[in-house]
Amino acid sequence: MRSSGYNRYHCYALAICVCFAVGAALTRADDTDHDAQAGSSASRKWLCSQTDICSPETELTPGLQYAVERFESQRDCRLSCGKYGSIWPMPTGEAGFIGNERVRFDPWKVRFHVVAPGEAATQFLRETNRLFVSNLLKECTRNCTLEGSKQILVRATVANETLVLDWATDESYALVVRTTDTATFVDIQAPTVYGARHAFETLTNLVTGSLSNGLLMASAARITDRPAFPHRGVLLDTSRNFVPLKFIRSTLDAMATSKMNVLHWHVVDTHSFPLEITRVPEMQRYGAYSSSQTYSRQDALNLVKYARLRGIRILIEIDGPSHAGNGWQWGPAAGLGNMSVCLNQSPWRKFCVQPPCGQLNPLNDHMYAVLKEIFEDIAEVGAPEETLHMGGDEVFLPCWNNTKEIRDGMRAQGFDLTEESFLRLWSQFHQRNLNAWDEITERMYPGIKEPKSVIVWSSHLTDPKYIETYLPKERFIIQTWVESQDSLNRELLQRGYRLILSTKNAWYLDHGFWGSTSYYNWRAVYSAGMPATQHRSQVLGGEVCMWSEYVDQNSLESRIWPRAGAAAERLWSNPKSSALAAQRRFYRYRERLLARGIHADAVIPHWCVLHEGKCL
Amino acid sequence: MMDSFGRFWSLLGAALRTRCGLRYLYKMSLAVSLRRALLALLSGAIFILTVLYWNQGTIKTQAYNEALERHPSHRDASAFPIPVEKSWTYKCENDRCMRVGHHGKSGKRVSFISCSMTCGDINIWPHPTHKHVLSPHTHSFSVDDVQLQVDTTHREVRKQLQTVFDWFLKDLRQIQRLDYAGSGSEPAVSESSSSKSRRHTQQDSEPAATLFGATFGAKQAGDLSSVQVKIAVHKSGDLNFSLDNDESYYLTSNTDGHRLLVEITANSYFGARHGLSTLQQLIWFDDEDRLLHTYASSKVKDAPKFRYRGLMLDTSRHFFSVEAIKRTIMAMGLAKLNRFHWHLTDAQSFPYISRYYPELAEHGAYSESETYTEQDVREVAEFAKIYGVQVIPEIDAPAHAGNGWDWGPKRGMGELAMCINQQPWSFYCGEPPCGQLNPKNNHTYLILQRLYEELLQQTGPTDLFHLGGDEVNLDCWAQYFNDTDLRGMWCDFMLQAMARLKVANNGVAPKHVAVWSSALTNTKCLPNSQFAVQVWGGSTWQENYDLLDNGYNVIFSHVDAWYLDCGFGSWRATGEAACAPYRTWQNVYKHRPWERMRLDKRRKKQVLGGEVCMWTEQVDENQLDNRLWPRSAALAERLWTDPSDDHDMDVVPPEVFRRISLFRNRLVELGIRAEALFPKYCAQNPGECI
Repeated sequence: MRSSGYNRYHCYALAICVCFAVGAALTRADDTDHDAQAGSSASRKWLCSQTDICSPETELTPGLQYAVERFESQRDCRLSCGKYGSIWPMPTGEAGFIGNERVRFDPWKVRFHVVAPGEAATQFLRETNRLFVSNLLKECTRNCTLEGSKQILVRATVANETLVLDWATDESYALVVRTTDTATFVDIQAPTVYGARHAFETLTNLVTGSLSNGLLMASAARITDRPAFPHRGVLLDTSRNFVPLKFIRSTLDAMATSKMNVLHWHVVDTHSFPLEITRVPEMQRYGAYSSSQTYSRQDALNLVKYARLRGIRILIEIDGPSHAGNGWQWGPAAGLGNMSVCLNQSPWRKFCVQPPCGQLNPLNDHMYAVLKEIFEDIAEVGAPEETLHMGGDEVFLPCWNNTKEIRDGMRAQGFDLTEESFLRLWSQFHQRNLNAWDEITERMYPGIKEPKSVIVWSSHLTDPKYIETYLPKERFIIQTWVESQDSLNRELLQRGYRLILSTKNAWYLDHGFWGSTSYYNWRAVYSAGMPATQHRSQVLGGEVCMWSEYVDQNSLESRIWPRAGAAAERLWSNPKSSALAAQRRFYRYRERLLARGIHADAVIPHWCVLHEGKCL
Repeated sequence: MMDSFGRFWSLLGAALRTRCGLRYLYKMSLAVSLRRALLALLSGAIFILTVLYWNQGTIKTQAYNEALERHPSHRDASAFPIPVEKSWTYKCENDRCMRVGHHGKSGKRVSFISCSMTCGDINIWPHPTHKHVLSPHTHSFSVDDVQLQVDTTHREVRKQLQTVFDWFLKDLRQIQRLDYAGSGSEPAVSESSSSKSRRHTQQDSEPAATLFGATFGAKQAGDLSSVQVKIAVHKSGDLNFSLDNDESYYLTSNTDGHRLLVEITANSYFGARHGLSTLQQLIWFDDEDRLLHTYASSKVKDAPKFRYRGLMLDTSRHFFSVEAIKRTIMAMGLAKLNRFHWHLTDAQSFPYISRYYPELAEHGAYSESETYTEQDVREVAEFAKIYGVQVIPEIDAPAHAGNGWDWGPKRGMGELAMCINQQPWSFYCGEPPCGQLNPKNNHTYLILQRLYEELLQQTGPTDLFHLGGDEVNLDCWAQYFNDTDLRGMWCDFMLQAMARLKVANNGVAPKHVAVWSSALTNTKCLPNSQFAVQVWGGSTWQENYDLLDNGYNVIFSHVDAWYLDCGFGSWRATGEAACAPYRTWQNVYKHRPWERMRLDKRRKKQVLGGEVCMWTEQVDENQLDNRLWPRSAALAERLWTDPSDDHDMDVVPPEVFRRISLFRNRLVELGIRAEALFPKYCAQNPGECI
């Protein structure tokens, strides 16, 4: 048996060899053809103007100064046209440079040399190399194999062995490409593996498919780069409508392309509870839309790992006390009392801001116990340094106030029924959960030096008048979702709070499809400014928010992308220049997303992409 | 090949059998030992069995091959876009399905869809106009048990209906999820003990059924052993589209023992096809028994309120593959929309490869692969007919034409178009790139005539053709011509184009020639007896009244209700967004211009219908489905049923939510990536989010 099997393989191997030989012979013949063409200036029709416009020689804009270099295609031209070529987001370092010469190569023939302290970091970089090659292959427009390809030798040097990814992680890198007679050398230097992976991402931006075989890369470049903000996120709501894992992964892929580093997973809400909590299986059983619209513990773990390899943290949010309902309805039957009140009540306008209603019962100790079990699960799923988003927005006080059980309970505990009392009750909810979280992390990860800060949304409670009473700035990071002209950000910064910005009138990607909201196109997203402040270090960054009332897997990708990419450049580069200056790079970036399988929205007629500067 | 191979063996076997048999019988008669005779008989029998088996084997392989061809892959059932929701059971209360947890409780689970289909009003989209009666009782069956019987004297109609029925069955297969692996989809959570035990009983019963089937040659999956669909078309044998097509139909179904007889009676092919579309929506998949279900009996009498129910797609700003177009048409058919207005070309690109003037695409297509061949257009038109949709191609002229028209001088034909890609564009056109045909070049008209001719050949005889004719920029022409009456020049252009259309259409002008509303249609230069105007301005503009008063037939495509491209901001770096905000499906649905304008009977008759427009500056194939659907379906019901509506702005009755939600699911089931209407919670709990 065994020997016959062996023989069979032998035959296959032989057949494959023959195929390859024939194929190679054919491609070689092909290549010489193309080489001859590519070499002649007749097929090199594209020129780059000083104003960063690529035009074919037949359509040069009168009055513009064009450089003498000629390129075989628009994308080839774009690689080095303008200061930033087609790199998205734009690098922030001084003295960047991308040469006009190209090297043609076969992506299978790129060799990697990884220098990193520690096994984990080395392995991480090997995975990065693998992802890098698979991204390169997606740039191939034609057959990418190339006989006699130039050698591309990539050397990645990482200084630290740490794999910790948080707000303190140094994501900077330096990338140098140089070409000699024998080979092209790519040198990547980064303090951490995450910096190195961003460098590889940038390197893919120096590559494009060739009109003939193989890929083209800028043969010389020098780029130093570091992000302006350490928190560059996308919020994904998987509760209003379920999002299958495949689409979460594609979101992560697109984020990696854009050097974004936080997926804020708004995994549960009043509508549904799709996440498996191994300690409390009832949550999912009662809360999921269906048994196939769920995320198992293993799914979540895999997702965290998948994200990590792409330089992305997954920050899980367990929203409370509001935005919690379905999944919590089993309390009475289990003898734990009402853990959630106003649940699915109607008329909903009396009990919440959006149907279905539901708000946790802050006077029920069992609810806190269950919440703690949930936190334990979350702590186990995430990386040791990862923290928790506690939600805390849109608490609808009339819900509590309309519930007899709460009113009675409050009176019994010595509260009166003033607004101030309700706010105090609400803040106690957060404080108690914070204590639980601290206890869990201390027990689970004794090595953690100081207690981790948690994140809450801006709300009544974060009103500058009260916030210092209710939420200590050392422990609570505030994610604000006010409009750009609101003074909240400034006031909270003055009081020493750390902020994550989700500017509602620019970065709420669900707007424009309901109520009186309006849509923010990529330019509006791009133009949303970050606060200019002396408290710069308190601004951790920002997030675009994809609330999923009106999207599911069918429109998710086109709603998020490419607009989130505009925010990515705001957060990575925080450029002073306008969207106008970024547009051509942005169109190229969108095409890169498409090549990587992301169904990004179209933003401009195809003609205008092909004819740069003609549609202003 | 296998078949003939098998036949060869059976013949050989038969020959051997007779020869051997005779010899041994002879020997036996010579009183050789009985054992030998038995052995001979045995070997003979084995041979016969082998041959039989072999034959059977061949047949099996063949059937298997066919099955493989039709269903290339069995996919994981959990990957089906509409998940199985075993966590919930439903009760019908006050015409609303109420969700109840089904966690470890015993008792029969009622799936959401089965509850929805039997609770309250009929659940099809668009809603029938005349009358409908549904039995509260339902039956289950499998798609394999559905047969067609066509009762018509018109051979062509019969053939066409058979094709329609094949697609109908294909859709049913998809709805029954036959391409997806059986029941292995339910992991962990809500897999309650009761449903597990139920699955066991199901599994137990299955082998019995198979055995039964194998023995008696009939397999019955559900209550019904057969579903007989009888389609009767007597009056008209016409397969050509016209606004006079009688699209009404009458559908009845009755159960007789284990047979369900569905009868669809219509005056034309088009009505019959709509009947099948309705029937498809009266059939649903229940995830409890994984079978199709329908009513024990039903009656639906239905006819559209408006004749022209269109959807326009612009394939010039961005290119769309034939596959994407077909998918769109398939969804249109399900919603009973009947006109696909193909805005084939514009100033940006010319993707159509003309038989006579391939230069147009050579110079005007975005790339070699972003083109439509003649065969493509023909294929789309034929496919569309299956779905009761007419393809109306539009070569927009004289404005909105530029790229692709620049080769005239090279061929000695002079300038075919002017201002092509001229800058600064805002002087010479409404949006870049500019371009406008040359009204004083006879070649231009000749090319148009040839284009009309070939497009008419590919899309079939018609009583309606679209000439475009909007947004002419007189300043563009003024650069070249000293004429004082530039608007007159525009008018002459349209009349000349009309004359050429007549020539292209074998000397007969189509009864209706459509143009977009414009400054020109505000004058009376175009004869109202021939021209119909597609009104795209605001629904409150004066032109609406004027056009009707001037006697034009109109098709409404009001920008403030039926433009599906609006609301995504300005795509240019300068200037404001043209037509924000986004039109929600409620906006599309609530728009009822003939009511708001209080049209009298005569004027209402001039309203041929309406059309949603998908201009594609900011849309390409990546998001086409979710831009179009389910909003286009909202238009479909507005035009087919035109339900009266006394609610406030933007408020749609809960009953409509219920039905469109189900229709959206049906679209998703059939592979259309339609947008979500609301959180899934609201779909699972009808009425609770309103």
